[in-house]
Amino acid sequence: MKKTILVVDDFASIRDYVCETLQRKGYDTLGASNGNEAYAVLTAKSDQVSLVLTDYNMPDCTGFELLKKIKGNPTVSKVPVVFLTTESNPDKMRSAREAGLSAWIKKPYRAETFFAQIENAMSNG
Amino acid sequence: MDSNQRRFIEDALDLLNELDEGLLQLEANPHARAPLEQVFRTMHTIKGAANMFGFENIGTLAHHLETLFDYVRQQQMQVTDELISITLQAFDKVRDLLKETDIASITSSDALNEHTARAIEFHRMADATLNPGNGASALQKDELCTFSIDIVPTLPITEDGNHPLVFIIQDIAALGTALTRVMKDATGNVAKWELYVATTVSQEELESYFIFVDGDCTVAFRKLASQSLFDQPHFIAYIQSLGDAPADPHTLMSWAGQKIAAKAENNDSTDDEPMSSGRRKVLNDTYIKVNKDNIDNLLNWISELIILQARFANAAAAIDSVELKDATEELYRVTHQLRDTSLEIGLVPVETLVTKFKRLVRDLSKNLDKKVNFLSEGAETKVDKDVIELMADPMIHLIRNAIDHGIEKPSERRASGKAEHGTVKLKAFTAGSYVNITISDDGKGISKENVLRKAVEKGIVSKDALLSDDEILQLIFHSGLSTAATVSDVSGRGVGMDVVKQKIHELRGDVSIKSFPGEGTSVHIRLPMSRSIIEGLLIRIGSSEYILPLTAVDKCYEVSTANLTADHCQKVMLDGALVPVFYMQEIFNERGHRPSILQVIKIHHDGYPVGITVDMILGEYQTVLKPLGDAYQHQEEFSGATILGDGRVALVFDTNKLVKRLILQPTV
Repeated sequence: MKKTILVVDDFASIRDYVCETLQRKGYDTLGASNGNEAYAVLTAKSDQVSLVLTDYNMPDCTGFELLKKIKGNPTVSKVPVVFLTTESNPDKMRSAREAGLSAWIKKPYRAETFFAQIENAMSNG
Repeated sequence: MDSNQRRFIEDALDLLNELDEGLLQLEANPHARAPLEQVFRTMHTIKGAANMFGFENIGTLAHHLETLFDYVRQQQMQVTDELISITLQAFDKVRDLLKETDIASITSSDALNEHTARAIEFHRMADATLNPGNGASALQKDELCTFSIDIVPTLPITEDGNHPLVFIIQDIAALGTALTRVMKDATGNVAKWELYVATTVSQEELESYFIFVDGDCTVAFRKLASQSLFDQPHFIAYIQSLGDAPADPHTLMSWAGQKIAAKAENNDSTDDEPMSSGRRKVLNDTYIKVNKDNIDNLLNWISELIILQARFANAAAAIDSVELKDATEELYRVTHQLRDTSLEIGLVPVETLVTKFKRLVRDLSKNLDKKVNFLSEGAETKVDKDVIELMADPMIHLIRNAIDHGIEKPSERRASGKAEHGTVKLKAFTAGSYVNITISDDGKGISKENVLRKAVEKGIVSKDALLSDDEILQLIFHSGLSTAATVSDVSGRGVGMDVVKQKIHELRGDVSIKSFPGEGTSVHIRLPMSRSIIEGLLIRIGSSEYILPLTAVDKCYEVSTANLTADHCQKVMLDGALVPVFYMQEIFNERGHRPSILQVIKIHHDGYPVGITVDMILGEYQTVLKPLGDAYQHQEEFSGATILGDGRVALVFDTNKLVKRLILQPTV
């Protein structure tokens, strides 16, 4: 069965681009433009989503807040969360790691690294 | 350019407008958190997306500016005029660049050099202030260093496997000049990687690459030298001499002559305060972009539908059928609903102009050493996109005038007991199918004496003419009249207001001006919300029907035909005032039967009342304006035509041009 990845980014060109990239690799994708929207999608379709791939800096609900919400809700806390972001502050990375983040992919990314991180996150949770 | 890049450019231009808006808010409230976060986040998004889609030059510029705003966020720096200025100018350049058509010039690495250099210089100066006499600063990460990194996996990983670690090592190697050595154990799994890299990336950032694989490996960093060792032949020779043996840490460190950099444990909790900005619209999901031609097409077809519906209603009226009558009424309701909804599609909020105006006010007041606040009210008011585009320049001209001629210098304002900061205000609101826009200032007002004197000097009015205050103000719109004591390069040479008025008239709008000495000036513009739909009075003159735009209509009177003469222009007493009335039946050579009572419609012409006679007023009529064919392009009195319910054509008056012609030519 195809795995579904929820892509969260407030910038439509990036979100669309990432979705297309993932679709070409054989994934199904869902999109959301901020953390709140993503959380709503995820909780509604918790049995479908295999991974949440989210931006860090977003209005209304940041990637970090989304991460904390996901990890704090037992019904969806198993879904691995990966940040795809330009943010590269090591302290933020460590806090996110502690909060249960699976991987931190820096933009711009190399396709190989990108897919390796995603696949690794999905197989290891 | 690929489609992703094209889409990026479109989105980025939207983002740049938001950025402008945020920067201007920040300038007005340098300590406000919300605009600061918005500016920071927007730059961050631009940086990330630019890098992702291959616009490295924009990414680099955004990166340097973002760093500066990060200092502000961390309260290490204040928002200054200079910071705002270099940022605005830099992104202006980015905006210009994104409007280029070929990808090569957009991504040209030199295109943004000047602005990047300024940002770096500002950064350097900020650092010098932050850390006086101390070289340690964020900029240091731009210094080239050579690191050795030992990575020992704690689980079986093959060199060509799919473990993220394999790719992380490749990613780090790509950050500079690098050399990777792999040592394997007996089973062929990786025992250890030795990575040597000369890069400008800081050690802290390099370490961060391993945060998410820290359970799968141990990593040891050594900073070998504050330069690239890859141009040192003996370093390369040493590495090559190793064969499969691991390098000796002591030998390596002898290159550096320094201790292993102790990693400072930094346990500061990450501050992830919600970015407090509910204002930001999520443009992407609630809005879709549509080609404007499609909308124009849609409107055109709907206008045809409305005409057809009117014809249908006319035809149906002749048939006695309740069912047909019901269907006709329903059709009327649906077509008009459809028209209203589709008109709405082409409308954009005045807000799109407001940011532009804020910039203008800011830049201009700086140039002229004046202090000006710009306020906008009703920026959400919607107008046809074409109207907005055509009105941008006239409105810019009006705002320029307000700042250049209206608002006084701070010292002058103080002397006359006003606040140092002048105010230019834009107010927009909708009334019926018209949009009203007022641009006002609290400056010194227009000197009517000066205007009149100039007008007399230029022979626009005769020396002994008696003009009311309003009439004098109307002279402002006369071509070739400027009252600026010295002609400045800001407001031009009086070739402005007449063009402003002309543009507004072309849009079937109307402009008036009020000014009080010492209190300020206000210009009021009234525009139809849509260019193609027109609200008018359907009138009959002789045997033909015409549409008179409602904008021009003031009041209707009934006058006995016996009181009218064939004189070209006679004065008729209306509401106690003498109004010149044109006897249209005579002018149009309609010499048929006359009713005993004619209707006189009072219309405005440049603020003066003028009456025209018509045989009958048939009622209000909302209709679609169609251009006249090529053969009729030279006539002046009509702005277009429309098709009536019964299929006949009615001409639509352009009242300004009509009256002008009637006044200028004794006989038509």
